[in-house]
Amino acid sequence: MATLTPERTEAVHPAASVPSGRRHRLTMALSRAQGAPLIAFWLVIVAILVLPIALFLLVAFSPRLLSQGSQWFTLTGFRDALRGPLLHAVLDSLAVGAATAVAATAIGFGVAWAVLRTDIPARGLWSASMFALLLAPSYLVALGWERLLEPSGVLDVLGLGSGGARHLFYGPFGVIVVLTAKGVPFAYLAISNALRGLGEEFEMAVRVHGGRGRDAARIVVALLAPAVWSALAIVFAESISDFGVAATLANDAHFPIATFTLYNAVDNFPINFPVAAAIGWILMAMAGLALIAQSRALRGRSYRVLGGRSRPARRQHLAPPLAAGAVGCLALLVVVGLGVPAFGALSASLINGLGSLASSHGFTLSNYQRVLDSGALRGPLLYSAKLAAITATLTTAIGAVSARLLTSRSGRLSARILDLLLLTAVALPGIVFAAGYIFTYNLPLANTLGVHLYETATLLVLAYLATALPATARVLLGPFSQVQHSLREAGQVHGDGGGASWARTVLPVLARPLLSAWILTYCATLLELPVSQLLYVPNHPPVSVGITKALANYDFGGGTAMEVIAILFALVVVAAAWGLFRLLAPVGWRRLGRTR
Amino acid sequence: MTTQTTQAAPGHEVVVQGVDKRYGKTPALAGVDATIGAGRFVVLLGPSGSGKSTLARCLAGVERIDGGAIHMAGTLVGDGRRHLPPDRRNLAMVFQDYALWPHLSVAGNVSYALRRRKLPGAEVERRVADALERVGLGALKDRYPHELSGGEQQRVSLARAVVGRPGLLIFDEPLSNLDADLRERLRVEIATLTRETGATAVYITHDQSEAFALADEIIVLDRGSIVQAGAPEDIYHRPATPFVARFTGIAGELAGVVARADGDQVGVDVAGVRLSARAGDALAAGDRVRLLIRPAATSIHDPSSAPLGGLAGTVIDVAYRGRGYDHVVETAAGSLAAVFSPRRWDRSGTVSVAVDPAGCSAYRTEGPHPADSRVLDLTAVTLSA
Repeated sequence: MATLTPERTEAVHPAASVPSGRRHRLTMALSRAQGAPLIAFWLVIVAILVLPIALFLLVAFSPRLLSQGSQWFTLTGFRDALRGPLLHAVLDSLAVGAATAVAATAIGFGVAWAVLRTDIPARGLWSASMFALLLAPSYLVALGWERLLEPSGVLDVLGLGSGGARHLFYGPFGVIVVLTAKGVPFAYLAISNALRGLGEEFEMAVRVHGGRGRDAARIVVALLAPAVWSALAIVFAESISDFGVAATLANDAHFPIATFTLYNAVDNFPINFPVAAAIGWILMAMAGLALIAQSRALRGRSYRVLGGRSRPARRQHLAPPLAAGAVGCLALLVVVGLGVPAFGALSASLINGLGSLASSHGFTLSNYQRVLDSGALRGPLLYSAKLAAITATLTTAIGAVSARLLTSRSGRLSARILDLLLLTAVALPGIVFAAGYIFTYNLPLANTLGVHLYETATLLVLAYLATALPATARVLLGPFSQVQHSLREAGQVHGDGGGASWARTVLPVLARPLLSAWILTYCATLLELPVSQLLYVPNHPPVSVGITKALANYDFGGGTAMEVIAILFALVVVAAAWGLFRLLAPVGWRRLGRTR
Repeated sequence: MTTQTTQAAPGHEVVVQGVDKRYGKTPALAGVDATIGAGRFVVLLGPSGSGKSTLARCLAGVERIDGGAIHMAGTLVGDGRRHLPPDRRNLAMVFQDYALWPHLSVAGNVSYALRRRKLPGAEVERRVADALERVGLGALKDRYPHELSGGEQQRVSLARAVVGRPGLLIFDEPLSNLDADLRERLRVEIATLTRETGATAVYITHDQSEAFALADEIIVLDRGSIVQAGAPEDIYHRPATPFVARFTGIAGELAGVVARADGDQVGVDVAGVRLSARAGDALAAGDRVRLLIRPAATSIHDPSSAPLGGLAGTVIDVAYRGRGYDHVVETAAGSLAAVFSPRRWDRSGTVSVAVDPAGCSAYRTEGPHPADSRVLDLTAVTLSA
């Protein structure tokens, strides 16, 4: 034993002593239950993520195990899913996914290059429009186009013939166009992040060794291969799992897509969970194949090009004709993805009697008046606003715990399992989540256990939470991993308990990312469609269901007015949230993350 | 900086009994025992991975121990099952990365540590102003951490640590991110300020010169265990193992054979010359040993006028050090680095190196002699005078 004899030991002053007594004994006793919060967290994750999905997917193989048939093991669900119209829908999804992935990646690459590597005018605008496209729900983009092109739609009312365009758009082409517009931001983000880290030395090396600009571009494309493959895989997975376009444009065009057949299998009578689960497996397998293709394409090569010695790349000057052409292409993309749908929705909401066969269609604000006056039209928006606020708050809190666990120095196994789970959940279509919730919480076993959540708002919120959590946790992972552990430890050793220390030292640092995550989740939940469509409480439709119902009943004016009001409402919430942060947050919180 | 003294609050006595700590399957601390007297300034010295930071973090309570027990001021604060959180241990810590909260001003960072004292506002302000004056930052209290230099940030961290007058102050390599000049100035500030507070101090470093300059006592750790503990003079003059000798600075290792053993003194034949040394192990005549020689024990001479018993060698490198020159000398038994002389001896010149027995320890050879295997360590490790 190393004993260091004190030369000037004095009696311990009470103020400087370690507290003892009853409180000390209680603290020491409670410290034995250190694993309890982690167990509680995992119980939540299992209840909202693992159980619903696992049980739903299990029924594809063993209907009897879950009281859905007589067979303990069967592949009938897969056999039914892979023949006739269902096979057709699966093949359509595959083709649409592949075409969309290639188109969106090519366009996303072009946008990233133009914004980051050229001096194209209004670079901030193009970058911002990518985020606007990312946030716009696919069914709203599709519905905007439909309002313009449908028979007796806006173009017909305005006397502009739309027959040819309608014929072309109502089918695979239109579906691919809308999904490509939705996929471009994903490709843009994946490729632009990689492009930012790629210094100019690789291009310079080509040029000083006799290569031309074209050769340098080829090298850059090769070095960006991981990002390009990521973009292809992400856009493919997003496209095949999309429900918004499948339920609107594709359905109206009688172009079957796998996600909509899954919806039909659980929404029509008789409900066929084994077939729905088999389609769920097929969708997951297709997303898995995309990831495998990405992994195989990159295997055995090194793309570590980002280092401390990288020099920032220089922007390429575009000659005026080239700049004009590039601006034209970007403007076309924004018009297709945002402009046309916005114009379609806005104009349709301002036309009287759109969708009816009435001969006179005047411009009016009466649709907005109707939405604001009628409880049936206004109710869904207020209901969704409430559910979105609850969901965003819960998701941000649990997402923060998940991100903390993923970046923790201890509990590596727990973190690895959670990471894998969240990654898998990101690849799962929302419609599979919704079907899993219907299935699991409607099981007789749930009833026996006293869990009566089916057809309740609680179940809807839990499903929203489950679909939003994987992405929110990913969004928070970056900022959480940047926070030094010592900030919280310093709070603890200087007198604060674990929770108080986190709230006083780490929360201020993460306030902006947490608020961003809340806002993103709020907006996504407010306008969410697949989970809402399958799980809404009877007579209490959320706004997305309200919009699609109004449109299905040919109340185009009321439906589009709801759409416009919902989007404006989301924008107001975003502005209010940031405004309150600026007004109420302490000055030190607001200074963080600001540029000089 | 004012000279106003802070009222001394006597520190914790810290008792560490058989402490084990593992990260997964990797042991970080294995059966560590130590008793640190109240008010003592103890330095934990060791290379990366020796467990010194882990031990300090276990004392702070930011890590839980897996076995053994830690007592502070006579109270159990942790064993394998129970754990008193850091905020209940009445301590403070200065972190290697400063760990200043970026959303709080300098004054906000320092006053944070007074929360547990529940003092009136005016008293908090007075104490914060006093602590900041003591570290020379009174004029910068409204700045934010990113508006300060590295040295200023570490001073804020120091003020934050002492302002609450804790019973135990822990320093986790606080100077490692600073330049040499600033390190020396801050080292003096840490030494004086800590001793004024009367707190027990545990200071972690891998820099032996910092350890010798600061410590009342040094604990040397290697691979999760304590290899020697004692006063700096003991560690320097009587290193318990070759590891401690090497880690606290040697000029080189020479292979030899014990010619005579007399208690803790031995005569060792090295390349035909007999050198006197302290016996690090129990040695007998005929034992093969390695001599570990402190840089300060060497001196360089002209062979024609050298004292008897010098080692003949060739100068292979010279480095100017301001107050004189450090030489690397190749002898028949091995290489000696940091051999000091006030004058320059030219490269390739033949010299004689005299060795003072007070700075020379002999340890029984395990494995091949460095000279036998032709392993030459030319790293010049010096200990600041």
